[in-house]
Amino acid sequence: MVTRREILKVAGGAMVLVATKSAYAADATGVTDDKIKLGILGDLTGHAAHWGTGNLAGGTLAFEEINAAGGINGRKLEWISVDSESSAPKGIAGFKRLVDQEKVFAIFGPTSSAVGVPLLKTMSSSSVPIFIPTFSSPLITNPPVKNIFRSGTLNDADQGRIIADYVAGISKKHSIAIMRQSDEYGKNGATNVSNRLKEIGNVKISEEQFNASDTDFTSQLLRIRESDADIMVVYGYPAPSAIVMRQAKQLGLPVQIVGSTATASRTYAATVGKEAVGTRSMTTTRYLPEGDSPEIVKFRKAFEARFPELARQTRPEATDQLAYHGAKTLIEGLRRAGRDLNREGLIKALEGLKDFETGIAEPTTFGPDRREGNRSGFVLEIKEDLSRTVLPKAYSAI
Amino acid sequence: MVSTFIQLLLSGAIAGSVYALLAIGLVLIHNGTGVVNFGFGDQLMVGVYILVFAQQFLGLALPPAILVAVIVSGLLGLAIQSLVMTPLRNRPVLIPIVATIAIGAALREGVRAFMGPNPWPVPFLLSTSPYRIGGISIVPSDLAILGTAIVIMACLYVFFEFTRYGQAILAACANPTGALIVGIPAGTTTTGIWVLSSMLAAIAGIVIAPLTTLTPDIGLIAIKGFAAAVLGGFASLPGAVVGGILLGIIEALAGYYISSAMKDIVSYAILIGVIVLLPSGLFNRVSVRKV
Repeated sequence: MVTRREILKVAGGAMVLVATKSAYAADATGVTDDKIKLGILGDLTGHAAHWGTGNLAGGTLAFEEINAAGGINGRKLEWISVDSESSAPKGIAGFKRLVDQEKVFAIFGPTSSAVGVPLLKTMSSSSVPIFIPTFSSPLITNPPVKNIFRSGTLNDADQGRIIADYVAGISKKHSIAIMRQSDEYGKNGATNVSNRLKEIGNVKISEEQFNASDTDFTSQLLRIRESDADIMVVYGYPAPSAIVMRQAKQLGLPVQIVGSTATASRTYAATVGKEAVGTRSMTTTRYLPEGDSPEIVKFRKAFEARFPELARQTRPEATDQLAYHGAKTLIEGLRRAGRDLNREGLIKALEGLKDFETGIAEPTTFGPDRREGNRSGFVLEIKEDLSRTVLPKAYSAI
Repeated sequence: MVSTFIQLLLSGAIAGSVYALLAIGLVLIHNGTGVVNFGFGDQLMVGVYILVFAQQFLGLALPPAILVAVIVSGLLGLAIQSLVMTPLRNRPVLIPIVATIAIGAALREGVRAFMGPNPWPVPFLLSTSPYRIGGISIVPSDLAILGTAIVIMACLYVFFEFTRYGQAILAACANPTGALIVGIPAGTTTTGIWVLSSMLAAIAGIVIAPLTTLTPDIGLIAIKGFAAAVLGGFASLPGAVVGGILLGIIEALAGYYISSAMKDIVSYAILIGVIVLLPSGLFNRVSVRKV
């Protein structure tokens, strides 16, 4: 049954879309006869640099490739990168610089919830199309904002729902423990998992929390052991999650560990060590960056050749992959918008994307009131040799 | 259950020995130079990255890589002292303290730019496979941290209490002018302290990082080291170790017997209580200055 709250939410979103329509008509700021000027906004320094550097690298690679192939409808892409320094005030200043001083046509980024969510009001009151390939706060796309699109990544609300569906399906004891970080990331993620488990019903839920800088998790893990759970969902950043998983094995907890997408990085298993064997994580796509599909191999080789300093850090990673996928999706929107390019045209073209495939991440579908390009996820497992494999079943949040 | 209680004590002591290692470095610099080094956690981080670099990119085996990391870290301490602290030596004490914050941030972002923001695996010095005795898990690699903290503390304690050079350092810190009059060069002793503490940071990092995961932000755990140092009195090396281990045990017991959400609240409430009731910490003697 559709609730009153849901009707109001959709109506509110539609009002935002309609109210801002006039601001976009025939606005071709940043477009010349032979160039389209884009802004890349991301955290290149600070604690969230992992995502920002991926955004810049993935975007740069895709933009350079399309320029080398002749550009888009007779125009080459030109871009300027601004570092939001993992800081909301710096992100807002960077966004304003790109819009007011650099006069870009569209923006690729921002790259973290910590910057993107405080930026939301500023972004939504501008007429600049914004394309986000990485971070996961659901507030960015729900309710939908006319000029903000996101592809590839799995938002936290959808991720929570998918994790809950997955663990409820494999729990034999119908008892699930959630071990979550104490900040907004962990709290929101755990709430989404917990709410969905309550909807499913017939599941005992226990919850423990930790700080991102903690080094010992024995007290929480012993409490979980006493809860008799057979599944432990770990919702936290990679570093503390790695210690949680290692200590859970060392304490002999008889649980299947399932981590959030934060634990789905290439180097994660090596960081945890042999205790990672058998642990599982959510992942936004069936394609691993170390995989062997033709598109992934081509991407990986191109990435390693273009960014040897990043390849040295065992990249490309999922964030590079999602950014490359996002940039290719944005390029497709620009292509479909045609030679007579303006912001309204780009938004309409992006809205027309349905199951757009790049072979790099999950297909993208937008619509007049849909701004979340991907709403499905997969589960990956660490094998005996610490390599990763994606389990075949796809999980949908729709 | 007794085994649960013992497990909590053991795990708390291990976590506490991480704090203790950090606290030792902070107390050492504070005792030797009068400066609270807010960049200590970042010096620790740099030491471990040097180890990783030596292993991954220079192809060195673990023992020589450790040696390289410790020596280069010592040189980093020398550089900090020569290029930053010496020019600031006659400024109000707040200035060098702020400088340590700036040095820490510069090291952190420099490493992030060069080695990337992603975690790097660091080899454990001992096995991570647990021994189970009476329902208690004992992990050798964790015991290495506890052992290292105790050995370092003992060495430094002997150095400062029973050697002329150690006594000279303490004298130079307490009264640089007086020390100079009796022939102790304050500059040399201060440089020695910075080199020594930087080398200790690397050693601490090399035993801690496999447990905590190496990223450019690993140094942020130094905040717990500050808490441990304050608990122990900030001038006492045994106090730093006991303060660290005590803090770890309190956290573990509070997390289990009260709730994981209350763990930090309980721990820091106790810390505040100690500061209020014993302003000089658990182990520090109240210093009296005669005028």
